[in-house]
Order: sequence, then structure tokens, then C-alpha cells
Amino acid sequence: MSVFVPHHVSVWYRPAVTAPVPLDELRRQLAAVVGDRRVSTREPDRAHYARDMWPRLLLGLRDGAPAAYPPDLVVWPHTVEEIRDVVALARKLHVPLVPYGAGSGVAGGALPLFGGITLDLKRMDRILAVDEGALTVEAEAGINGERLERDLDRRGYTLGHFPSSIYCSTLGGWLAARSGGQMSTKYGKIEDMVLGVTAVTGRGEIVTTGRHGRATSGPDWTQLLVGSEGTLGVIASARLRIHRRPEVRHLRGFEFPRLTAGLEAIRRVLQRGLRPAVVRLYDEFDSAMNFARGDHTETRRPGAPPIGGRSGQSQAPLPGHGALPDIPIGVPARDDGPLAWVRTLVPGLGGAGKRILQAGLGVALERPRLLNALLESAATSLSRHGCLLIVGVEGGKARADVEADLVWRELSQAGGKDLGTGPGERWLSRRYAVSYEMPKMFSSGAFVDTMEVASTWERLLDLYTGVRRAIGEHAFVMAHFSHAYPEGCSIYFTFAGHAPNRAAAERKYDAIWRDGLAAATRAGGTISHHHGVGLLKAPFMADEHRESMALYQAVKDTLDPEGICNPGKMGLKAPRDLAGVQR
Amino acid sequence: VSSRDATFLSGDAQARLGDIVGAREVTRQPRELAAVGASSEGVPTFLVRPGTASEIAEVVRLAAKLGAVVLPVGTASRRPRTSSRPRILLDIKRLDHVTFLDETSLVVQVQAGATGLGLEELLRPRGLTLGDFPPAVLGSTVGGMLSVRTPGKSSPRHGFLEDAVLGVSAVLADGRTLHTRVAPRRATGPDLGRVLLGSEGSLGIMTGCVLRIHRRPETRLLDAHRLPDFAAAVTAAAAALRSDAKPAALRLFDPAEAAAYLGEEIAPGAAVLCVATAGPSELATVDREIFASFAQQHGGTPLGPGPAEIWWKRRFGQGSQTTAPSLEITAPLHRLPIVHAAIQAAAVGAGRRARAHASRLDEWSGCLFVTLLDGERPDPAGPARAAVTQAAHAAGADLVGVRDADFLPYLAALKARLDPAGIFGDPS
Repeated sequence: MSVFVPHHVSVWYRPAVTAPVPLDELRRQLAAVVGDRRVSTREPDRAHYARDMWPRLLLGLRDGAPAAYPPDLVVWPHTVEEIRDVVALARKLHVPLVPYGAGSGVAGGALPLFGGITLDLKRMDRILAVDEGALTVEAEAGINGERLERDLDRRGYTLGHFPSSIYCSTLGGWLAARSGGQMSTKYGKIEDMVLGVTAVTGRGEIVTTGRHGRATSGPDWTQLLVGSEGTLGVIASARLRIHRRPEVRHLRGFEFPRLTAGLEAIRRVLQRGLRPAVVRLYDEFDSAMNFARGDHTETRRPGAPPIGGRSGQSQAPLPGHGALPDIPIGVPARDDGPLAWVRTLVPGLGGAGKRILQAGLGVALERPRLLNALLESAATSLSRHGCLLIVGVEGGKARADVEADLVWRELSQAGGKDLGTGPGERWLSRRYAVSYEMPKMFSSGAFVDTMEVASTWERLLDLYTGVRRAIGEHAFVMAHFSHAYPEGCSIYFTFAGHAPNRAAAERKYDAIWRDGLAAATRAGGTISHHHGVGLLKAPFMADEHRESMALYQAVKDTLDPEGICNPGKMGLKAPRDLAGVQR
Repeated sequence: VSSRDATFLSGDAQARLGDIVGAREVTRQPRELAAVGASSEGVPTFLVRPGTASEIAEVVRLAAKLGAVVLPVGTASRRPRTSSRPRILLDIKRLDHVTFLDETSLVVQVQAGATGLGLEELLRPRGLTLGDFPPAVLGSTVGGMLSVRTPGKSSPRHGFLEDAVLGVSAVLADGRTLHTRVAPRRATGPDLGRVLLGSEGSLGIMTGCVLRIHRRPETRLLDAHRLPDFAAAVTAAAAALRSDAKPAALRLFDPAEAAAYLGEEIAPGAAVLCVATAGPSELATVDREIFASFAQQHGGTPLGPGPAEIWWKRRFGQGSQTTAPSLEITAPLHRLPIVHAAIQAAAVGAGRRARAHASRLDEWSGCLFVTLLDGERPDPAGPARAAVTQAAHAAGADLVGVRDADFLPYLAALKARLDPAGIFGDPS
């Protein structure tokens, strides 16, 4: 069995695979657990489950390279008991095992680095209970996010979790990677919503956490399993808090002369005890793109329902509609991401900038420092605008109306110019309208990715300038601030780079992450706010947690003594004796 | 006295502990042991008072060499755990410094020996506060509050105390010191601090933590309502909470408790709902009005702020004290009335009476504090306690401090990895 390990991983990781298990034998034993039709060793299945949405993998895909990390088998369990039996079998044979949801992860977390079994949970997609008295929902891990939210919405409730991946991600994936949604400022991230999980540990045992809530003594096992990305076991189902569907939703756009003014305004709002659901502040460049696209104007898609209502008024979200617009089926790739955004700035650029961009965007992206500098000088003059803030308040009408007024007032006093409901409305209607096709720019030799870091307010500007400068050495970069909390905020960097060939692109890609995450750690921030660690950030976990990794390793060795659960991820020690599968 | 114990006592343990923390901070005096809830009977016991986290690390390393256990003690609200081996009791009250106050991010780093009230004293003049947590809880040390997870340490506006923890500093059994890193939220693996929070010092000694704090509210409003019965009071409060009202504190008295606590004349035969709201005055007002409107919908009549002021003063230890409740349980919000009724019936069945109040409610759950009475006399330890406990559990309540049976083997295995020599004793 050959294992391809990317450059930045192989530095610290040496796989040790021994004692091969014959494929046919393993297949027969798995079929005895889940049935013959729910085990696959077919090549198309292996190729499919060899990937998630990690952009680095697209570089290889573009080149037609074979999948680097195929599983040996794919298994589709129906019940938690089946998961238990599969894990117990894997444990007995020392075969690695990786849980898989919808494959929308962007950090390579679901890649079977050492082959073995991929456990696709999508058939476990039932809502087990909606308890309207307790205000909780219990659902299986494989349920699709959109289905879960729509079902709750029909009953008059919401989970409050709206990641941009909601149409193509699962509850289990959210919990595994500590997902965050666009309304996290009010409803929290998924770890704030979960009351307990039922999981199968790496010892092949079913456990249920959170049965007694806060009454339990001892470690909080829920908060240890959540975020473990399959390294401790397999989450089979979860119980979460739900909320009444908001009666009203108020959305506003504000414009701030400078980024710092916008950040200070957000901090004041949150520290006054106000809890808007949506808070998104775009930096100068990102704002310029937004303004250039007309995102500040009061436009609506023809036929689309008014969502925010007229300025100063509010409207209830449509029943059965909630905060979730219809899935944008067949939306053509509207643009090529950051490249097209750069293009929108071209008309306003002066001579040198225009010449560079006219020479081709690829050429421009190969001079990222120059491009970033040009845009830095251009963005201000181009837009004549400052930074765009989109803010939304929702909830029960009596309180939300008062709270919204207080938020608008606080933002105005902090120097924000009220832009009315247009920008928020436009954001709300467009926020899922992304293409599910591979970005066209990948085929032209470029790549695009996002980096989401976070820190307390006190360190936030250091984090912003440090990471932006680090990425800017290699790629075009812009950012927005979302997921704000009373004590800090997350920053979402979008970057686009270009290289003449795949090897060079991968080198550049790895350098961006290496330098960007090192800068984040140096500034006292965290290397991930809601995308997770997976394979991508595994080499940086030691710097992230330092001596506290001892706690993670102790929990890992406790719940998964053989090291079969998603090996090679999260910066944990390499297992000593994994079995390879003999094909 | 076993030979090991004799060696421990006669040897130079006291001198070596003194070398680490200073001779004056090591004692075997029965009086001083009693002050932290310990006894000088049984196994040999030293009480040491370290002044820094690195002294704690050295004490832990020495304990490993001496074959002793290291057990944290606090404000004597809980007894130190027992042990068959010589004990070194760690009184961390000298570690009471606020080591970092970040008024921009509203984050404070505090040593584990500081009390909640001590921290509040430092924060108050700066217009800051730890949050709307019950004052009774804040009398304990920060380390003590966080080493035991209970549902009572919560507020509707500020959540649970352990959720305010952004970082934990601790000493492990091998003497290593660790600090979990601070970020508002993160997606870099499990929340590692949660290994130590709630573990009562059995996996590591918490030496400090980083906590979220809040600005003191601009306005605070008090209000009270009379409701026909306890169930109506819970239903009204639940409806208000689920309409997004975010009170600073709530207290629901059943009729007997209302009479005993607030006075016979305030609402004879009726339940009383007290509401404290806080924040910008417009929000505090709207929160108060939401409660008023739901109280009215459920047959309530307004009592004005008077009864709530009695409650509020007593909450802060002013006015006459009542006896501590016999039983503290937690239940999902909608089950509180059922649990309450079951408790009443069980108490009567055992020849006693029960009165109760609910507190620390949020949209999902609440705490019930039950006082058992023999005639007019509180009877916390009487025969009714077991029956009432059993009935509450059967009706869907959780008793504080339960262990999760699924995880007992895992806790033992985790303990074996983090503390193979059992320096921090057995899990209690």
C-alpha cells in the first residue's frame, strides 16, 4: 500500500502500516454487519470518497492526477448498533476508520490517509424527536443541514445554524468540526447548541453524553467529542437546543469611514449586551467589491419576496421559508470569485495597475505584493466609500424591535452611516447563491481558498494586519469580519494565487497556510474559528495548543486506544501498528 | 500508623514542603485543618498554602516522591476527599491575584484562589462584573466554583459559569504546567479545558483561568406578580423566556415558600414570580413588560417591585436569613411543575411537607430548591429526603453531582493516563 503524504505533512508524520488484512475477508465481515449492498470496494466509490472540498486537492484534480487517499472500502450504516459493530471490527483488526458526512469540509479532515474504512453516515438521516416542551431536537448525524432546518421551520422553530455549506453539509459534520453559522452572534456556534451526543467511541462502545445536563460531575464529554473530527469515535446522533422561529427580522447596512471605526462600533454594540444575529464588516477591499457590485443599493431579484421590508419596518420571515432561501439549483457560476472581484476594480485603477491586470489576471496574481499594494491605494479612491457593515437583529417582536433600534443608534453614534435595508436584504438573498461547480479560475492555473482565524478584541487588529501581510506575500487577499462576540471576533480571509504548474501552486499554497497560520499564532489568535483542522492545519496544532496537546492526546488514548479513528489528523501522535488492507 | 505513614510524619516531609512554600505555610494544626473542613484524625495530613502555580507544581512532584496525595481545599464548603495515603491538602487562597484585566475584550485572568466576590470587588469600581450569577455561588473560590459543575451557577443573560471560561491554567500529576489558549471561539479540536472543569481536582490542579466579564448594566428593574399556583408561574416564565425575554434573574416561589420567605400577607395562598431585568433601560423595560404580559395571560396580578426587593436584598445576604434548602435539583423547564407536584406528594406520603422555589431558569431548564418541613421545623435530613429525591427523579429531574454511567470506565482510563500514580487521589 502506497501512501502519498503532502510535503507539509510528511515532515512530521511517518506512517506505520503493518500486518495486512485481506480485502475480501474484511468485506465479508463488514457485509455481515450492514448487509452486502452497503459495502463497496468499487473504484468509482473509492475515488469519490478520496476527496472532500479541500482546495489543495482541486489542484491535483485539475491535473487529472489519481486520488491521493482512497479508502479501501465504503460502508453505509443505518443504525448506531451497526456503527458500533463496524468500529469493533475495525478495532479488532487495527484497520483505520474515517466517518464521512457530505464531504463539504475544506481542510481534508475526511480523507482516509491510510486507506481502510470510510463510514458514510448519510443514510442515518432521521429526525428522532422534536420535543416542543423541552425545546430540543434530536437527529441522526447524517441528516442534511437544509432538511433539518426546513423541518424545524415547518414546525415553527429554528436551530439558528446557517453555515454557507448548509445545503451540502450534515449535522455530524457540523459537530465534528465545530461549525459556525452566519447568525452565530445570537445563536452561537454548533458547540453552543448541542446538549448531548450519542457516539461510538474508538473502543467500539455506544455512549450518550449530556443525559443529566449540568448535573453531571467529571469532564464534559460532549465538549470533548464535539470538534474531535472523527479522532475519538463516530458521532451517531445529537440532541440540540432549538428556538422559536423569529417573529421579526431587521436588517441594515451601515458604512464606516475606516475599518477600525466599524470594529469599534461592533464591540460597543456587543458589550452593551445587545445581540444582533448577523454582524458582517467588510474590510476596505472587500467593501469596495461589494459597493462596486451594487450591494449597497436597494435591489431585489425579480419575484423574490421582500425579506427585510421597507426601511424602518420589519417583516416576518415567510412560513416554511425561515432564514433559508430556496436552494439555488442551477445557479451558473456568477463569477470566478476574487478574480472577478478584482476585475470590477479595474476601471478605476490607474495606469500601472491597469497594465498589470490587462496583461492577464494570472500574471497579476503572480505579483501578489504589487497587486495588493495597487488595490490598497485604489480601493479607497475607487469606492469613495469606507467599510460596509451588515447587521441583523431578530427574535420575538416586542424585544427585537427595541433591540434593533438600540443597535442602529449605537452604530450611528459610533460614526456609521445608515444605508437602509438594501445591503442586508441583498446579502440575505444572495448568501447561498454560490456555484457548486469547480471555480473556473482553477482551470486557468489559479487557486482560491479561505482562512478563518479569531482572537479577542484587544489583539484583533494585530491579527488582521499580521495575517493579511503574511498571505499578501504570496496571494491577493481580502477579508471580512463576521462571527462577533462580546470578547472578540473572527476574521475571514479570502485569497487567490496563481502559479505556472501544479507543483509550484502546491508549494505556494502550502507557504500561504504556513505563513498565515504562524502569523495568527504570533498575534495570539486561533488558527481556526469554524472550518476545523483536518489534514491542512494538523502541523500547526502543536503551536496552537502547545503543552495542552497532552490533554487531547490523553483523551485520544482513552477513547481510541488502538488509534484507528481518523489517523494522521489533528496533530495527534501517529498510531504504532495500523493494519493495511491487502488489495 | 503504617510504616509508610510513620516515615511520612517523622521524615523531612514538613521541612521539604516548607522549602517549597515557606515554613509558615505548612501546618498540621488540628484547628487549621478543621478550618478547611479536614480532620487530623486518620491518615497523616499536612495543610500547605502555596503562593504560586510553580510552587504547586513542586509540591505535586514532591508528593509523587513521598507517595502522598495532593487534594485541593477551598472555603470549607466541601470536605476534602478521603484517602488511604498521606494527604497534602492544598489551600490555594494565597493564589488570589487578578493577573490580567483586558477591559477592551472584557476578559480577566484570575488565579484559582480568588473568590468570586473578591473578583467582583475589583471589577465593580471599573463598571465591570462577572455577570448575574447568584451571589451565594460567588462566595467560593474561582477554582472551587469551576471544579464542580452544577446547574445552579447560571443566569439567563450570562449563561453557565463554566461557559464563561475561555482558558484554564493547571498543574498535571507529572508536575507539568499547562495553559489552554484563549480565543472567543475556536474549531481546533475538543475544548480541552473541559477535561479539567468539573473534575474536582482529580485530573489536575486548576491554578487559574481566563473568564469573560461584562459591563455593569445601565439599569436594573425589579417586578413581581401573584399567580394562582406554581405551575402557572412556571408556564408564564417559560412563555416569556421563549419570547426572547432575557432577565437578569428570576425567582418563582410556591405558595408556602412565598409565605415563608416574603411574608404571609403578600400573596396568601398564591405563588409569586419575581423578575429582575437589566441592561440598557429600553431593553430592561421591554423584558419586564414581556414578563408582565405573560403573567397576566396566566391569571396573574401585578404586585409591584416590593416583594422582588425583599428577594433581591436577601440574595445579597441582607435581611433575615432562611435555612438552606434540603435539596437542589434541576429539570427541563416544562417538567418543573410535574416535578414540583411529585415532590409535594412524596413529602406528604412521608409525613412531611415540602415548600420550594425555582430559580436560575433559562429557555430550557431550571433549578428547584426544596425545603422539607416537619411541622414548621426544617427537616433536611429526615426520612422524607430519600422519598422526595426518588419521586423527583422519577418525574424527570436530575440530581446534582450524578455520574454518567456510560463514562465511568473512560473516566478511570483517562485518570490512569493523566495521573497513573493517583497523586490527585481517587475520583470522589
